[in-house]
Amino acid sequence: MREALLAGKDICKEFQGNTGGMVLDHVTLDIYEGDLTVIMGPSGAGKSTLLYALSGMDGITGGEIWYKGRKISGLREKQMSDLRAHEFGFVFQQTHLVSNLTLYENIAVAGYLGAGWKAKEVEQRADELLFQMGVEKAKDRLPAEVSGGEAQRAAVARAVINRPGILFADEPTGALNRQNTQEALNLLTGLNETGQSILMVTHDVRAAIRGNRILYLEDGKILDALDFPAYRDEVAKDRELRLNEWLCALSW
Amino acid sequence: MEMKILWKAYVRRHKGSLAGVFALLFIVSVSLVTTLTIWESSGRYVREELERIGFGDLTAWASQVYDITQLTDEIGSLDTVERTGVQKLIYSEYEIKGQKSDSEGQLVVYEPEDYAYRLFLDDLSGYQAGEAVIRSGELYAPISLRSMCGAEIGDEISFPIARNGVAQTFTIKGWFEDPIMGSSMIGMKSFLICGGDHAEILRKLSAAGIDGLARDGFMIHIFKDRDSEVSIAQWNAMLNQETRLSQFAEFTHSRNAIEGFMLTLQNVFTGFLSAFVAALLLASMVVLRYGISGAIERDTPDMGALKTVGFTTGRLQKAQAVPYIFVILAAVALGVLAVPFAAGGAALATLTTTGLLFPVRFPLWLCLLSLLPLMLLLLGSIILKVRKIGEIAPVEIIRGTIGKASEKKRRRFPIRRTGLPFFLAVRQLAAGKRRYLSVGASAALLVFFASFMGYVDSWLGADGKGLMDAFNPADLHIAAQPMGEATSEDVERTIMEYTDITDSYMLAMPGVSVDGVDHTANVITEPERFHLLSGRTCLEADEIVLTESVAADLGVGSGDTVTVGGGAGSMPYRISGIYQCANDMGANVGLSREGYAKIGKETAGMWCVHYFLADASKQQEVMRALEDLYGGDVYLHENSWPGLFGILSAMKWLMLFMYAVVTVFVFVVTALSAGRLLAVEQKDLGIYRAIGFSPDRLRLSFSLRFGIVSGAGSVLGSLLAVLFTDPLVAALLRRFGISDFSGDPSALDIMLPIAAVTGLFMLFAWLDAGKIKKMRLTVLVARR
Repeated sequence: MREALLAGKDICKEFQGNTGGMVLDHVTLDIYEGDLTVIMGPSGAGKSTLLYALSGMDGITGGEIWYKGRKISGLREKQMSDLRAHEFGFVFQQTHLVSNLTLYENIAVAGYLGAGWKAKEVEQRADELLFQMGVEKAKDRLPAEVSGGEAQRAAVARAVINRPGILFADEPTGALNRQNTQEALNLLTGLNETGQSILMVTHDVRAAIRGNRILYLEDGKILDALDFPAYRDEVAKDRELRLNEWLCALSW
Repeated sequence: MEMKILWKAYVRRHKGSLAGVFALLFIVSVSLVTTLTIWESSGRYVREELERIGFGDLTAWASQVYDITQLTDEIGSLDTVERTGVQKLIYSEYEIKGQKSDSEGQLVVYEPEDYAYRLFLDDLSGYQAGEAVIRSGELYAPISLRSMCGAEIGDEISFPIARNGVAQTFTIKGWFEDPIMGSSMIGMKSFLICGGDHAEILRKLSAAGIDGLARDGFMIHIFKDRDSEVSIAQWNAMLNQETRLSQFAEFTHSRNAIEGFMLTLQNVFTGFLSAFVAALLLASMVVLRYGISGAIERDTPDMGALKTVGFTTGRLQKAQAVPYIFVILAAVALGVLAVPFAAGGAALATLTTTGLLFPVRFPLWLCLLSLLPLMLLLLGSIILKVRKIGEIAPVEIIRGTIGKASEKKRRRFPIRRTGLPFFLAVRQLAAGKRRYLSVGASAALLVFFASFMGYVDSWLGADGKGLMDAFNPADLHIAAQPMGEATSEDVERTIMEYTDITDSYMLAMPGVSVDGVDHTANVITEPERFHLLSGRTCLEADEIVLTESVAADLGVGSGDTVTVGGGAGSMPYRISGIYQCANDMGANVGLSREGYAKIGKETAGMWCVHYFLADASKQQEVMRALEDLYGGDVYLHENSWPGLFGILSAMKWLMLFMYAVVTVFVFVVTALSAGRLLAVEQKDLGIYRAIGFSPDRLRLSFSLRFGIVSGAGSVLGSLLAVLFTDPLVAALLRRFGISDFSGDPSALDIMLPIAAVTGLFMLFAWLDAGKIKKMRLTVLVARR
């Protein structure tokens, strides 16, 4: 039996206020090392809330979260910051690059926070990643001066510079055009092929088929899971068909 | 109705900014109007009291007048004189709580039917009703004696009347308000006694003959005829020429001069406070402009949306401007309402220093004159700012292109791993420098003023030497004027038992007239010791030096000739230079011994010998020994003055007040700027936290930004202070006879305000940035 890299046990998230309501309703799930796990579901299902809860970006009102056998729910802010700096990487829908740092600096600053590397090594790796992501020519530009695709590739580079244990991706293609979407998905798939564990939230079927495990969330509960073998371009059409059938069965 | 909804929403959204602007303008209006109220109320009160008490347009303090009625009749017979009034008094040194007075006291006979001095209630909360009965052995002392000597009701004051220990001792029965010389800035003090005690002292004086130490005298109040058009200076000269007044007058002062003496403290500190208020006002304007710009920037998308539903630019401008206008009006109105409490409190708190319990009277016209331009300035500032709302096109909002003008290519400050919070702080600063303008400008203005005051404080020194040097015509350690059997040789022998005398010279201060107007002459044996400001000293017997104020009053300068009169005649003297001596508001002239000999009679008792000690630290010990040995036979003084304590004490309070206001100001400016920046940078801060920055590291970086900007502003403010303090303070002090001010700040004087203001900005920014800890990272989930 595979050991979970990241595990959520009976996670609850309840919003206070007039509307109230349980956004995550006793969710239990395991994320395995080397997987590209996808969370799908209709709008308002709690996908992003689950992602941010699992990554410690947002608090939970019940349950536990474990990472590499260590309970991380309830960690102090400083410990959580260390964990985010060394073990977690994030890619957001809106890229969320720091507006006054160049693409290169956005990547390097995250690298400086990582443990054990010398500044020179960080800078060298930042250059390598920029080259790998195909944005080396835009390295000295500010986020506002590059295209959405370039910004998202730089965001992916920033997310992986510290070789995180897991990469969280929240609708990474949501704000991209068709071509940039493909490029971004290729990047994530490529990273996963090198062994990078990824947890991605998406409602885009073409993005979801890149995953080898798809979880379906509705009304704060995981209703079902679908496993696929490793992704290859040749099987994309078949996978998309199967995924759609599965989703239809779940009233998607 | 729709405007009401917009205003309500605006206040909800920008309550921090509005509250900050309110706080700043409240401080500004309270400070400004309180300063004006104190200045106007105390000035008017002194004028009214001098009138009510019966102080003349000119009052001469005369002594040894054998027939006062004959003299006043002679004066009263002049066409230019309306009437005269006389107060009987005795001049005498005094001793209280073991301290000998530095200046003479005046025991004035209490005659409430003619001279209705106000007597304080014992708790100083007001005045006694009706006339008091002063019994033999009791006196009423001026209230400033409390701050000058620590005197209390029930203390004994002893007045040496004659040699061989003949003295008159009184018990302080209570305090009175002396509008003539009640301020702690004036060394000479009046005491109210009963007629019986006055007669008793006269009897003792008569019995003592040449051994008398006290002197019989009068205050002669002379009122100018209302129809006479001669100036007070011309009139003074006429009185000296046409009557025998100058033979008996020890000194003469006009009502204006007395007003000046009495209001020295208020005027000096009103000047300083006005400068402070101006600095605060400028800083407030910068903050206000920044607050409105920030609000417009933040509301731009909403305003674009409102334009699409039909709101006109004018209505949107109104929506932005009205809340600020309302807040400004409310702050100023509340500030004005707080003035009676602030000014009343200040009047009560300074009672023992100013000597006056002046009623607070709101100077309506003066306030309108000062507040109206202030309000117009602020309103103009708001109108100019909201004008840019007209530039917002709805389509830009819809397209999301508003405010996204292409950034110019420029060199960027590098980011390094070591000191990452600092480098990030610099980058954030460079990216949003406009947003830090209020911090930098406020820091510059606050440091400028703090440095300005610091230099004045440093000039005064812990012991007030700076001020004393301005008051004394020449330097000294100890001055001794033998008046009895003891000689200068005796004094010198005593001094040398403690330390060597390195140097000495003699100074006398007889009264002279210059072009007919009474002045005090500083007659010196070594004229090169005068504190000379320009020209050269009066080395020749026909040369004279004048203070800047005397030269200005007489309309003369170096090289001109003036006629100087003394007891033995008068003759022309050439003005060789300008020197500094702020005594009597600067009404002094300097002569060499040889120069004075041509017009005045030199007497043995007139000279005061000024000594320089080899070991200056022995000064107090030597003073005590001389007092113990010679008592009333030798008049002793040092480089000090009783009013100095009041000035030093007031300066300390002013410095404390200033730093307290600076702290509040920095707090408000930081809160405003930090609140706005944290709102604008919410996303960036979220990103930094998402990639692993701890909140404490981000707080440090945030605080460093304020440190860098306020540090730069502070250095600029300090530089301005170094350049402009001397001329500004000199211009202010010139009104009080001090014409030479040189701050000469030490490194500490320069660094302290910079460090204090920068440190405060950093501290408050650090505290404000505590919100970063509470900031939820889900802000990054937002889809817009």
